[in-house]
Amino acid sequence: MSRWQYLAKRLVLSLPVLVFGTTMSFIVVYMSPLNPVSAILGTSYTPEAAEQLRQNLGLNQPLWQQYVQYITSLWTFDFQNSWVIQRGTNAGTLVWVYLPRTLWLGLWSVVIAILFGIPLGFYAGLNPNTGGDYLASFGGIVWRAMPNFWLAVILVSVLSQSKDFLGFEWAGWLVQTNIVTPPNLAFFNDPMGAVENPQQWWITVGDNGSFLAAFKQILPAALVLGSASMGNEMRIGRTAVLEQVNSQYVETARAKGVPERLIVWKHVFRNAMIPLVPIIAGEAFLLIGGSVLVETVFAINGLGYLFFQAALNADVPLLGVLVFMFSVLLIALNIAQDLLYTLIDPRVGYEDG
Amino acid sequence: MSTETVTATSTELERSDQSIRQRILAYPRPAVLWGSVFTLLLVPELGAVIHAFTQGLLGVLKLLPGDPAVQSAAQLVSAAEEIPTLLSRELIGNRGHRTPGGGWDGTFLGLSAKQAWVIRFTLIYVYAAAMLYWLWRGYLTYREHYRITDWSPVDDQIDRFSSHNWGRAGLVVVAFFLVMALFAPAIGPTTLEQNIRQPYSYETEYLDSETGTVETTPIGVANVQSTSDSNDAVGPWSYDDFDRFHPAGTLKTGKDMMTFLAHGARVSLLIGGASIFLAGFIAVALALVTAYYKGLVDLIVVLTSDSIQVIPVILLLILAMTLFANHWLSAVFNGSLLLILIFAFTNWTFIWRTIRGPALQVAEEEWVDAARSYGQAPRKTMEKHMLPYVIGYLLVYGSMRIGGIIVAVAGLSYLGLGISPPTPEWGRAIASGQNLVTTQAWHIALIPGLMITLLVTGLNAFGDGIRDAIDPQSDGAGSEEAEATGGGA
Repeated sequence: MSRWQYLAKRLVLSLPVLVFGTTMSFIVVYMSPLNPVSAILGTSYTPEAAEQLRQNLGLNQPLWQQYVQYITSLWTFDFQNSWVIQRGTNAGTLVWVYLPRTLWLGLWSVVIAILFGIPLGFYAGLNPNTGGDYLASFGGIVWRAMPNFWLAVILVSVLSQSKDFLGFEWAGWLVQTNIVTPPNLAFFNDPMGAVENPQQWWITVGDNGSFLAAFKQILPAALVLGSASMGNEMRIGRTAVLEQVNSQYVETARAKGVPERLIVWKHVFRNAMIPLVPIIAGEAFLLIGGSVLVETVFAINGLGYLFFQAALNADVPLLGVLVFMFSVLLIALNIAQDLLYTLIDPRVGYEDG
Repeated sequence: MSTETVTATSTELERSDQSIRQRILAYPRPAVLWGSVFTLLLVPELGAVIHAFTQGLLGVLKLLPGDPAVQSAAQLVSAAEEIPTLLSRELIGNRGHRTPGGGWDGTFLGLSAKQAWVIRFTLIYVYAAAMLYWLWRGYLTYREHYRITDWSPVDDQIDRFSSHNWGRAGLVVVAFFLVMALFAPAIGPTTLEQNIRQPYSYETEYLDSETGTVETTPIGVANVQSTSDSNDAVGPWSYDDFDRFHPAGTLKTGKDMMTFLAHGARVSLLIGGASIFLAGFIAVALALVTAYYKGLVDLIVVLTSDSIQVIPVILLLILAMTLFANHWLSAVFNGSLLLILIFAFTNWTFIWRTIRGPALQVAEEEWVDAARSYGQAPRKTMEKHMLPYVIGYLLVYGSMRIGGIIVAVAGLSYLGLGISPPTPEWGRAIASGQNLVTTQAWHIALIPGLMITLLVTGLNAFGDGIRDAIDPQSDGAGSEEAEATGGGA
């Protein structure tokens, strides 16, 4: 089977999964005892107004008709308007507004996890059963076991009192930022500014914020959100390096007189990356789910926050769009993960995807 | 060597057509010895065992429509409370008050409240350790004297586990929390009912330090004056103004945190254990069936589990918890039942994914093929020839996922979903103490989080140990662990 055939097969197989997934979200949302009408009306609730609203929202139609509407609106990307969070605003537009902050958070949590987790794991693997290895391994295990939201709570408290605990003022360090507000990403609207006006775009904080300020603000949240991934990458990196170091080709290379530096960088590290690739791709699962709690603690109003509010307020169209989006994203990531695996390691076949 | 083998086989042959009862009757000495010590160990706690059993019965009866026999079950519960037990708060009481003369009144042997509590706490763990050791001895006795076969692969696995330090450390941690959950009513320095649920319905006595007389006040009033906040906190290992000892300090509401934590352990472990049990059952059954029949059945289960996995677990939980907030399901066991069902529903997919590989592997083995051609019923083949091979992997992955579930439950409580107050849940303590971490009341948010971290680490270590025991060739890390951290909670 060629790579393209394999891709086509995966895509075809993902269709029923997507249909199942959206159907399930419909069942959960519509079959449950939720009441959007009273959420919308609030204190101005009267039976007549409620009936009128039900009629307007189409809640009096037969269930199958509502289902068909729900599915077709999702699959044609013709999203309905939000019911509660921002009445009259298209759900798709709303998602578009909240998406960048979550993406910014997700990006850095993946990057930070990779930058710390893999080197630590490789270090532990190259020096097995030394004090450094034990420290790194044990630290990684405990770091991974900590609940994200708890870690976030502790971090917020410590940073708020950073003068007493860390010896310097975190909020005023490098650039002035708050600890628990969403990062200002408006500077991205002007991508040319990075070249034309570098000082203001990268560092100085104006009305549009700056790269540095946004990065500094997202750093604690990203560190927390990536904590589990960091631990995983460390552990798996360590095992992978150990396995390569003890393999026969390394022995051969050593016998041939290849310098140790070259063995490590050219052979061991490259091969040790193979098992790490699917792990890194698979982390998106955690990031999407975990962003709800971390965003709540750090008051970053991204997609997770939006989802939580939509669920609390029974905003059915918005919930539908969000679940649909997450599902598409996860399936895409799943396929990308498999493809990447086959690209990196040609020994993995396409047969048992 | 040959003679040994021959004798071993002859005992095996002889034993193989006897029931366990006949085998014990044929050589009763070790069994009687073990049984009598076991009874001696059990007797002091018999009251607690009966009490727990009757209470469980009462809970089940309350679920049934029409509440049949609830009255008589409630009577049984109160009757069970009457049976004296060794480790109860009645026998080794720590509730009392100072006397003007400097001593203590009402506590065990007139010791201070702190000493009495420490004695009870220590005794509980000594007792639990003795009991666990004796159960282990029971297994060894069975293995040596009554089992049909002389050797089984499980023996080697257990030997490997018992030389696996990391795994053993995990087992100790898990046992510590299990004992805390089991003995929660006796571990707390006060009771859930009196201190947390109905504090204004009970009274407590204390020595008023200004007047020097013994006063009586409702517990609720005492709680309000023992709160922990940024200005003034009753920290861990200290007394409040009402002669009450708080091993883990007080909550923001002035309620005792050790009582809260012990009962919180109960809730967390119950949800984690029950949902993994349910999910594991579904996963193993499906894994055996799909591995045996393959083809269409396999494809259908793949698609179903993929569809369930496509919705991030924590989102599904938030969705279900908010949507069912006022539904009757969320009222059963303070919301535990709903959580258990959701976790079982989402977790079987992950477990099935992991044990599908080993199940497919064993289905290819010659002995399965032999059983099939011999005409054995498929169900029998799966049970006898496939299940024992798969069950170990279930233990590995199950113990790792319980940690994830416990974290997720705490995360939900942090958001104000899931277990309904006042039932204790660790996550709610973290939420209430989140602005106090850098103040005097640091313990409210810090201690529950540390306990979760410890428990999850222990469960992971335990899982690691079992994996290395059943599969020594495994590389010690797999993608399954990536998901074993609570869906990112």
